[in-house]
Amino acid sequence: MPTLKIDGQEIQVEKGTTILQAAQRLGIRIPTFCYHPGLSIAANCRMCLVEVAKSPKPMPACHAQCADGMEVFTNTQKVQETQKAILEFILLNHPVDCPICDQAGECVLQDNYADYSLSPSRLFTKKVHKAKAKPLGPKIILDAERCILCTRCVRFGDEITKTGELRVMSRGEHSEITTFPGKTLDNPYSLNVVDICPVGALTSIDFRFKRRVWFMSATRSVCTECARGCNIRIDSFQNKIERYVPNYNPKVNQWWICDSGRMSHTRWTANRVTEPRNTRTESSKTAISTRDVADEMAKALVTSGKASAFVLDASMPNEDAFVALRLARAVGSRLYLGGRAQNGPQDELLRLADRNANRTGISAIAGPSPLPGLAEFQKDVASGAFKTVLFIGGEHEGPDKWAKLLEKVSVIGVLADIRSDLVDIAHIVIPAAVPQMREGTVVNSHGRVQRIRQAIRLEPAGVVFPYWRILKRIATTAGLEATWNSERAIFGEIVASMPQFAEMTYDKLGDLGLPLGSNGLSDVDVDAATRNIDPSAPQYRKTNINSRMPWQH
Amino acid sequence: MAATVRPVQRKEFKFRESSYLPEVLRGLAITTRQFWRNLVGQRDIVTLQYPEVKKRYPNRFRGRHRLMLRDDGQVRCVACMLCSTACPANCIHIVAAEHTNTSIEKFPQKFEIDLLVCIYCGFCEEACPCDAIRMDSGRHSLPTFSRSPQNIGKIDLMEIGSLSIAKQGGKNA
Repeated sequence: MPTLKIDGQEIQVEKGTTILQAAQRLGIRIPTFCYHPGLSIAANCRMCLVEVAKSPKPMPACHAQCADGMEVFTNTQKVQETQKAILEFILLNHPVDCPICDQAGECVLQDNYADYSLSPSRLFTKKVHKAKAKPLGPKIILDAERCILCTRCVRFGDEITKTGELRVMSRGEHSEITTFPGKTLDNPYSLNVVDICPVGALTSIDFRFKRRVWFMSATRSVCTECARGCNIRIDSFQNKIERYVPNYNPKVNQWWICDSGRMSHTRWTANRVTEPRNTRTESSKTAISTRDVADEMAKALVTSGKASAFVLDASMPNEDAFVALRLARAVGSRLYLGGRAQNGPQDELLRLADRNANRTGISAIAGPSPLPGLAEFQKDVASGAFKTVLFIGGEHEGPDKWAKLLEKVSVIGVLADIRSDLVDIAHIVIPAAVPQMREGTVVNSHGRVQRIRQAIRLEPAGVVFPYWRILKRIATTAGLEATWNSERAIFGEIVASMPQFAEMTYDKLGDLGLPLGSNGLSDVDVDAATRNIDPSAPQYRKTNINSRMPWQH
Repeated sequence: MAATVRPVQRKEFKFRESSYLPEVLRGLAITTRQFWRNLVGQRDIVTLQYPEVKKRYPNRFRGRHRLMLRDDGQVRCVACMLCSTACPANCIHIVAAEHTNTSIEKFPQKFEIDLLVCIYCGFCEEACPCDAIRMDSGRHSLPTFSRSPQNIGKIDLMEIGSLSIAKQGGKNA
């Protein structure tokens, strides 16, 4: 266990710890570009050079390991001069086109220049020009001039996805990042290079010029695209989701997220169900409300009694599932667990074949006997057992023609967030909130309970509601007692009745979540996890969307 | 913070003031004197004969915004949104888009300023890194019968624009 001194503060670290990691532990900031905790150490940007006593030259803190009796200085005049020289060198041919650069505002080069240099350029010749706005693949654009050659993207391709599309070509000031001839950067995780690029060299075509980053509000949440439950940051502006960015969670997704998960926000914004519909009764009212159709649904369920069925969505949060199970059992309905396909793309890194976010959670809440799936539902419904069917969630993997299968059912109701074939043929459509508009918890395939948080307000207001609110309305109209008033209250009841969730609260779940059956005890060293966040990643303000006024974003 | 209360002593009206008549006559005398002075002398009249005569504005009057132009007449703005960031009234709305010319890259597809919301502070002009927006036209925003014409767009802003002497892209570009 080497003991060393950094800026006069003594610290004891495990063998093999680098100076940078030791300094992080003491809360001393050392600027970096090429260092990323999830990648191998390249030590090529030289931004983290520090002075070590008895060493003739400054050493790179990200690479140099701590030794016993070492004395490190991170803020001497020599170090400051070195940092200025390095920044001047990196900025020599940098175009400084921050006004048109998407990275501006979350750019490590901007931050480090502002904190460690602020010297004007001394170059009096023309800058070297390289390719601008060159597409590397269908999702990513390269601006070779802005690149500082930290090789984070090259290492990501080599070490994480093991696809190795990128290399540094040419030498000296003509060096630039490129793909191998005839190859494109197109793998299921390629957009991660946009996040890890410390400057604006690699930008996402989807987000290009869409929004300045400082206008957006950040909300920590969980991706609902597959059963992995990757932690994400939802960036939104004026109640519109602009992008998903991965958040570090050592037990789930590390620093990464797959491209389909990252792009899934477009799915939620493009196909929303925003108005109630009831095709069964010719209403004299010109406009029907969500409450009207919910009441209609309640009547149909009560009339059908045992001849009714609930098809749950395997992506719905625990809170909704809990309320739905209570309601279905009180009415006497049969319960099925539906949801999206379970044969999606799968690989060793993150993606899982089950495209539903909360199958584990719903199974845990449903009790010891597993809920029958959609195959059983198809068989039962074809036999004409049901007069009323209520689907929760718009997306269910089903037959090519739902209409043919459900022709004997007299009332088809859907609590729908997303438009689908099923929603088109349903008699009663009740619009529901998308996951980004509500609070809740989901359990990933490894049994980790994590919070999804509200990033945008319910819109259209007064028309869409979270599933549990609509289910509560149905229960009240059906003459049942339903007293829940918030997701927190429902989760409290789940915790009280399910031993696997024992001792959990929303606050204890926090940012990193808890495993099922953990009795509220975290299995993550939060300090270590905080240190493992990419040190150059920008820190965003968290926002409470309910405290925002309508004219704010 | 506790408010401090300071009692103000009002001047009591004497008989002369409270009977009103002498004061009314005094006021009439002032009006009559000014009437004759204007009719005969016509020297120190405050009123201007608008629109034949217009008052000169102070040199620091800004007036309406204008968008400067590139050498080929295109808009100089690169849609960096620094003006809308600096704007304390949130009246500048820009939608950026990809330009077909790769050397320009980003340009404002939509550039709208809501003149009814604008407070004419000039922060947008100061924030602009490209000398693309200026507030030196010295023109008013004209009165309209509805709100929408006051939300002026790129075309209107460029109409009174002109060329800049600053080099686009900076010195070493």
